[in-house]
Amino acid sequence: MERQYWIRSKPVYTSLLWHEKATAHLVIAEGDGGMAVLKLLQQKYPTQQVNGFFVKSPNALKNYADIISSLAPAEFKVFGNTTEALNSLKITLADCCMGTCFYVAGSEGFIWQVAKVLASVGVQDDDIDKELCGTLARTVYCVHCKAITHDAHHSVVACSGCQRQLFIRDHFSRRLGAYMGLMVDAEQPGILPSIEEVYP
Amino acid sequence: MSHLNVKVAAIEQVTEHVKHFTFISENGEKLPAFSGGSHVVLALNINGRIHRNPYSLMSSPLNTEHYGVSVRKQEMSRGGSVFMHEQIKVGSRIQITYPVNLFSISKLSHKNILIAGGIGITPFLSQIVDLNRMDTEYELHYAYRSPEHGAFRQQIEDMCGERSHFYVASDGQILDFYALLSKQPLGTHVYVCGPEPMVNAMIAAARDLGWPEKHIHNEQFTAPQAGESFKVKLALSNIELEVPSEMSMLEAIEEAGVDAPYLCRGGACGRCELDVVSCDGSIVHHDNYLTNAEKTGGKKIMPCVSRAKCQQIVVNL
Repeated sequence: MERQYWIRSKPVYTSLLWHEKATAHLVIAEGDGGMAVLKLLQQKYPTQQVNGFFVKSPNALKNYADIISSLAPAEFKVFGNTTEALNSLKITLADCCMGTCFYVAGSEGFIWQVAKVLASVGVQDDDIDKELCGTLARTVYCVHCKAITHDAHHSVVACSGCQRQLFIRDHFSRRLGAYMGLMVDAEQPGILPSIEEVYP
Repeated sequence: MSHLNVKVAAIEQVTEHVKHFTFISENGEKLPAFSGGSHVVLALNINGRIHRNPYSLMSSPLNTEHYGVSVRKQEMSRGGSVFMHEQIKVGSRIQITYPVNLFSISKLSHKNILIAGGIGITPFLSQIVDLNRMDTEYELHYAYRSPEHGAFRQQIEDMCGERSHFYVASDGQILDFYALLSKQPLGTHVYVCGPEPMVNAMIAAARDLGWPEKHIHNEQFTAPQAGESFKVKLALSNIELEVPSEMSMLEAIEEAGVDAPYLCRGGACGRCELDVVSCDGSIVHHDNYLTNAEKTGGKKIMPCVSRAKCQQIVVNL
């Protein structure tokens, strides 16, 4: 988290709102993203077809899956894990046309996993509405060994690949869905800055 | 800004109103490489005054021995196209800018729909070469008034085969944007170039169907319109000048000896944007670059096409 300047690659997340002009709607959410889905269901419901994919998570604040299933059972399919949901999404995407609006909600890691699937069929980052829910946990890409470390909550994290202590920068790769991590004690090994939980 | 010196190697009358010009470099060397959809700005000396008009390059990007542009004669315009038609001969020398591309094919596209109206076909001719070379899926939809106005139809049929579709208004063939843009696969991008009402209708249809903005591309070069004369003060250079009714604000600034930034000179690219310090009247915006909020805000002006209705406008230049 850097305050003195703004890194343009850092994604900006918003609140999900139905697009009035659309030919269809696709909602993909996970865990605490269930709250964003419930907020969508509170809004004036679209006249076009809605297809939803919801991934249950034991870490979510509430059992959103049950609430969503009771409110919109025909539109939303519930999955036990992300892989199953993304496989089902890929099958649905084959029948989608231009004019389909995309809404994604959940942790940052989940959002960019979905974005990667959507990119494979030509849906661009800017075409997708994204709401970050539940946690600010970051996925980190180690610039030294290129390993990915998931769920980093602190300003410095140990790399899952090379064990180096990585400072997490705001530079974000949309292709990798991860922030840049740099060895923080390269000049003076063992001398670390104070480590704080900034991504709860 | 550096320029290229070219001479006219050939002129071809394509239709009643359209002439095609072939340029080669004056020193016989190859011209700079460009990508499909690029344009150049021609500097035309008309009665001692320099007119700068943008034209799309329609020759193949694979062959830079020459550049090709096509010009439709616009009787109601300020004279650039009439000058090209009546005064420019084989052997004439013209100064042009390096090619600039404000209308390129999206590298992220999975399919491309090109829509042309009339002379708006020109940027697509160089784009088609790129699309064929990259083996990208595309279709071209070309609408024009009547059979005699269908410039380059044979060339397009040869280049695109079944991917080209023609709509001749006099034969009652109408291009239905809603029908065309419905049911297109994800990852499709649409590009339109043509008369303003057509461009606007296409964009409106795409938005109405829920197409995201990043998938909608258009190129509209606006010719500077004549208007009432007004005074300009350049705050930084401390120069006062008058913009005559027949001249654009950018041209008047250049005439006063100030090297103002510009690229497209058609209100499309945003390069010439100036901050307005004050204006004792109103700005008449003609560009396609500023947002509506910026236009109403009155703090910015694109001097290549826009004017002011005032006694004096002060800009930061």
